[in-house]
Amino acid sequence: MTRPRIVRAVAAAGVAALLVPLLASCSADSTDDASGAAGDAEPAPGVTDTEIVVGTHHPLSGPAAAGYASISAATTAYFAYLNDNGGVNGRTIEYIVKDDGYNPATTQSVVRELVLEDRVFALLNGLGTAPHSAVLDFLDENEVPDLFVASGSPVFNQPDEHPWTFGFNADYTAEAKALATYAQEHFPGKTTCLLAQDDDLGEDFAAGLVTVLGEDGLASEQVYTTSNPDVSAQVAAMKQAGCEVNFLAAINAFSALAVGTAAKLGYQPQWLSSSVGGDYGTVSQYLGENAALLEGFVSANYLPSHFSETDEWTTLFRQINEDYNEGAPFDGNTVYGMSVGYLFAEALAKAGETPTRQGIVDAVTSGDLRGNGVVPLALSATNNGAYQGVQVTVVAGGVQEYVGTPYTAEPGAGEVTPYTGGPVALEDDGIPSS
Amino acid sequence: MDHFLHLLSSGLARGAVFAVFALALVLIWRAARIVNFAQGAMAAATTYVAFAVTAATGNYWLGLAAAVLAGALLGLVVERGVMRHVARQSPLNSVIVALGVVMVLQAVLGIAFGNDYTPMRVPFSMEPLWVGGVPLLSPYDLYVIGAVAMLLLALGLLFTRTAVGLRMRAAAFAPETSRLLGVPVSRMLTLGWTLSAAVGAFAAVLVIPTELGLNPHATDTLFVYAFTVAIVGGLDSPVGAAVGGLVVGVLLSLVTGYLGSTLAPIAVLVLLVVVLLVRPAGIFSARQVRQA
Repeated sequence: MTRPRIVRAVAAAGVAALLVPLLASCSADSTDDASGAAGDAEPAPGVTDTEIVVGTHHPLSGPAAAGYASISAATTAYFAYLNDNGGVNGRTIEYIVKDDGYNPATTQSVVRELVLEDRVFALLNGLGTAPHSAVLDFLDENEVPDLFVASGSPVFNQPDEHPWTFGFNADYTAEAKALATYAQEHFPGKTTCLLAQDDDLGEDFAAGLVTVLGEDGLASEQVYTTSNPDVSAQVAAMKQAGCEVNFLAAINAFSALAVGTAAKLGYQPQWLSSSVGGDYGTVSQYLGENAALLEGFVSANYLPSHFSETDEWTTLFRQINEDYNEGAPFDGNTVYGMSVGYLFAEALAKAGETPTRQGIVDAVTSGDLRGNGVVPLALSATNNGAYQGVQVTVVAGGVQEYVGTPYTAEPGAGEVTPYTGGPVALEDDGIPSS
Repeated sequence: MDHFLHLLSSGLARGAVFAVFALALVLIWRAARIVNFAQGAMAAATTYVAFAVTAATGNYWLGLAAAVLAGALLGLVVERGVMRHVARQSPLNSVIVALGVVMVLQAVLGIAFGNDYTPMRVPFSMEPLWVGGVPLLSPYDLYVIGAVAMLLLALGLLFTRTAVGLRMRAAAFAPETSRLLGVPVSRMLTLGWTLSAAVGAFAAVLVIPTELGLNPHATDTLFVYAFTVAIVGGLDSPVGAAVGGLVVGVLLSLVTGYLGSTLAPIAVLVLLVVVLLVRPAGIFSARQVRQA
């Protein structure tokens, strides 16, 4: 056989692989009219007298499964706990988790399945900026509540453009502003630099840093792509530029890679990481026996710390993890997944005896939800992002704990202000009632 | 200049690793005239064997040997069990079936070992040696480069100086004629798969510790770069794989260092396109008087 035949064969295989999900989504498109309108007298899709069905798309297989697959299991465990305690307004919650492998084409087909075939009441915590962006318009058109997207991208906080979509994670820009403020207070006069992923995460984070540090506040801005797991060129450049305080807008794997690579070059700057890539449990797992390099590692979070021995939320979630999640490793993802479940239950309880799609959106935008964060929920009639502030965490002695007071930050170029209200207290064993 | 030297040496170290993996692709091409798209996933599977054996015995070298043996065995199983039954009809079949093997292997690995990344231990330090204030290659990089060089030499000798090597090449190029001349073509094919999978397994054990760690998908991007390397160097040429690996490794490193990371994969693509336009069979391909 000659080369051209092989090349043609490979091209054909590639085209076929691309076409399959496309065709699947086209065929699903033709049945769009099956979705129900909101606010009807008829019960909303996915709601019966005894049950409410919600669905999500998460990467359970593929490269992105590492680090994310445990989130939906934690949410499911929280719902199991809730259901065993009577559910919400007498209804149990069924959570359908579909695997999209972090591939936007697959996300499109599984979300259509969820909405048109499984007839879910709402989408909850769809994961990832790129995958979820692919279904925004579809969810809008079908008026499906798109609650608490697992991303900090401002794309999911546009009440005018996408009134049905609500983000969960702390806004990347807000987070960057809080971390930059912390750096100015604790490491004054040092040379600051940034290592960022070459996508929304990096861009939004950089924009946030600039509003606090000024246009020339970063001595060196390096980027990496996830397809090349080697950051030695970038780290060497930062070292050469004399960077002393380095911000990281990276996923956990690349935070670990950056810290490990720097150590190999005999370079130990202060790292300040976005919460996306700053979970000590996950980053230290990548570093293995070199986990001690993370001593002093600064990051941010907005949910109860999974290390805490005293926090009531953490204690409850740890118990639910034992009882309903087969004692899976308890980490930041577990707390995250259960917090998402709790916020949804809270919204559902506020949506009244017979929840409708419009009803739950009204509950979310009412400003009455409390969440379980260290900063208050920012959800309101004009803001579709759940968390808009963070508290700084520092790793000391292998434990990542909160330090100082939290900051809240307005979207865009707005102010960063300390928040002294204290974390949201646990009520009624984490079982919301209306 | 310091920056350049650092980029050059880190590129060479990564390139060496691309080279070994590309070599496994070249081997199977020489033996069976197909591109083995399952190479990456097969190598990831055997690296789990290395990890388990090293964890159980505390000995890196036993783990490495176990991975190579497991690779040979897996190559045998995939060839005898799957590829043998599909390869003849059309080249597309073996590509599709290999992709199927990838999916099965990655799913089974995910179910058995989970999807998290596991760090692997290595017997040599990964901290670079400093020469005149510039961090150059680490002892581990030197070990990888040395191992690749020896492997290349051994395979070169096998194919050019031994009767088995000659029979393998003959069976691949002209199966009918070889069969008439008494070459056990089907056995040669199996031997090719076994050898290639063993080399792939060896390469993965060398590479995975330098990246994010062990994961069912740990070899995905590696496979893509190695495939490019094999095409650039010439699918038929072990020397091409070695040189192509170093070229791609250094190119990635220099482009990342001077132009930015986003452009690095594009630079590799441009290289691929240029080579395919100027010398479609690869830089180091042998001239063919007539096509088989």
